[in-house]
Amino acid sequence: MTTGKKSIEAPAGRHKKPATATGKKPLPAEPEPVKKDPAIKAAAVKDPAIKDPAIKDSVKKNPGIPEVMAVVPPEDHETHGKTGRPFWSGSLTIGLVNVPVRLHTMVRDHSFSFRLLHRTDGQPLKYDRVCSRDGLVVPWTDTVKGYEVRKGEFLIFEPDELKAAMPESDRKIYIDKFVYYHSLDPVYFDNSYILIPDRSEEAYSLLITAMQELGRAAAGTITLRTKEYPVVVHVYDGALILTTLRHADEVTLPHAFPVLPGLRAPKEAELALAKRIIADLTGDFSINAYPDHYREAVLALIDRKLAGEKIVYEEPHPEEAKELMQALQETIATLARK
Amino acid sequence: MAGTPGGTTGTSIRDLTRVRLTRLDKVLYPAAGITKEEVITYYIRMAPFLLPFLKERPLTMHRFPDGVEGEGFFEKDAPRGTPAYVEIFTRWSETAERDVHFVLCNNLDTLIWMANLASLEIHATLSTTTAYEPPDLLLFDIDPEPPLGFDDVIDVALVVREVLEAAGLHPFVKTSGKKGVHIVIPLVPGYRFSEVRDFAHEIGRQIARTTPHVVSEFPHSQDPGTVFVDFLQNAHGKTMAAPYSLRATPGATVSTPLRWEELRHGVRSEDFNVKTVISRHEDPWREIFDNRQKIH
Repeated sequence: MTTGKKSIEAPAGRHKKPATATGKKPLPAEPEPVKKDPAIKAAAVKDPAIKDPAIKDSVKKNPGIPEVMAVVPPEDHETHGKTGRPFWSGSLTIGLVNVPVRLHTMVRDHSFSFRLLHRTDGQPLKYDRVCSRDGLVVPWTDTVKGYEVRKGEFLIFEPDELKAAMPESDRKIYIDKFVYYHSLDPVYFDNSYILIPDRSEEAYSLLITAMQELGRAAAGTITLRTKEYPVVVHVYDGALILTTLRHADEVTLPHAFPVLPGLRAPKEAELALAKRIIADLTGDFSINAYPDHYREAVLALIDRKLAGEKIVYEEPHPEEAKELMQALQETIATLARK
Repeated sequence: MAGTPGGTTGTSIRDLTRVRLTRLDKVLYPAAGITKEEVITYYIRMAPFLLPFLKERPLTMHRFPDGVEGEGFFEKDAPRGTPAYVEIFTRWSETAERDVHFVLCNNLDTLIWMANLASLEIHATLSTTTAYEPPDLLLFDIDPEPPLGFDDVIDVALVVREVLEAAGLHPFVKTSGKKGVHIVIPLVPGYRFSEVRDFAHEIGRQIARTTPHVVSEFPHSQDPGTVFVDFLQNAHGKTMAAPYSLRATPGATVSTPLRWEELRHGVRSEDFNVKTVISRHEDPWREIFDNRQKIH
């Protein structure tokens, strides 16, 4: 989660590196379905026309806004054309005002996932739920959730009991208050999503402009799936970005480490030297100065293997779907008789 | 493929369907432990009952790629990458103000393809492509508000049946798979939605006057302790869960066509689910389209 971080010093020599970081070498999955819904597309096309001038104007009109307030992506950050379908839709609720929005995924994990294979025959392995007493495979229908109170002692929870405790997802992002974005500590940031107006371009644009001019972010809550999260919404690159936050008890605070309070104050000469080193290395932060070397190396390896070595992959085997196969054969026969 | 058990040796899924099946062991109903393979198998088994109903009927898919405990979404438009064997029906939508590319489930592969997309619920319009504006089905959607339950729905459904039969009509019934039931009358072509809606509204009003707990007007539809006889679904662009559609409930319930005799106190929606419906050998709605009726 780096979106909202302030300028961070990067080693001077490195940040000018060309942007080779993300997605330069597309995987097969890269050109993803853009938008299925022409309505979304229409809104997206209309958007910049409505929003952008307003925002640009407001920035121009307010030269007094400290530079640090304008949260924009680094210029060499590649724009990914991938937007996909909304992950959630609902509305941003501020008191009595509702701004309908769609939530789109912003952060994508590009780490590789490998399948685990049986070395001798190259077939994918699957996981089974095995009883720790008799070693037998347990079907889903025979499973129940247990909370371990003490080692080996469980409280059983039926799905209904847990359901009763779940917050109701009422498709609202409740805003409680507005805060200075830069007063928020990134250690609580969890995951970010892009909010897109859902036929609410005017209200959305108004909110962006007002928040930007005041340098505020909105704080509140959202319920996603079965969990309620604290969130902040801030302006970034002409959009409202929603970031889910960690709950306070999920974050370890440094004062838990006894070594820290005991640190002695540095000598003045040392401090001056340290500051000079820092000043020398000060520059603009660019995320693209930090490519994913492992990813690039694996991609190259994949290319090499594709060119040379034989890759074996197979469709799902009939024996993996025997019931399905049998149903298919019987239904095809029934339909043919009609 | 050494050691393939007998029976299916030599045949592969690819020989039987054009659908590329994916992630078959994905669990879609965690509470009931139902995997995607079981969902697809269910739809394949029910295809002989389901396909005649779905034929030429614009559909909306209610997809749950992360299973019923994840977020579902409605898909009215054929998604990008829809294969060629899926027939598409393009219509201008007044509400969306754009062309909508509806999926038509006119063949088995389309049904399997939808199931593979985790379209657990299949919602169908009350009209077909041959006569997209005039409806060919009349729908009463009967839903209880707590503390009333399914027994109360049954009571009301039986009154609706009585009133309709007194008017010379032969209604068909199915569970919604959720809290209520759907009562459907197949119509001879030519009615407008407004006529059908007015007729259903009048029936609802009549029943509300004479039957305890029943409400027929939308503002009262959520009053506690009532049963709402909903006539408003009889409108352009509205859909109902198709007969034999799975529902996104913890127990993988099915919107199940029933014989009227089966609607007896003690019967529960949950009795009709992915595991039990698969072994129903008679389709109470088999002759539904041989029984098109006139409402006035």
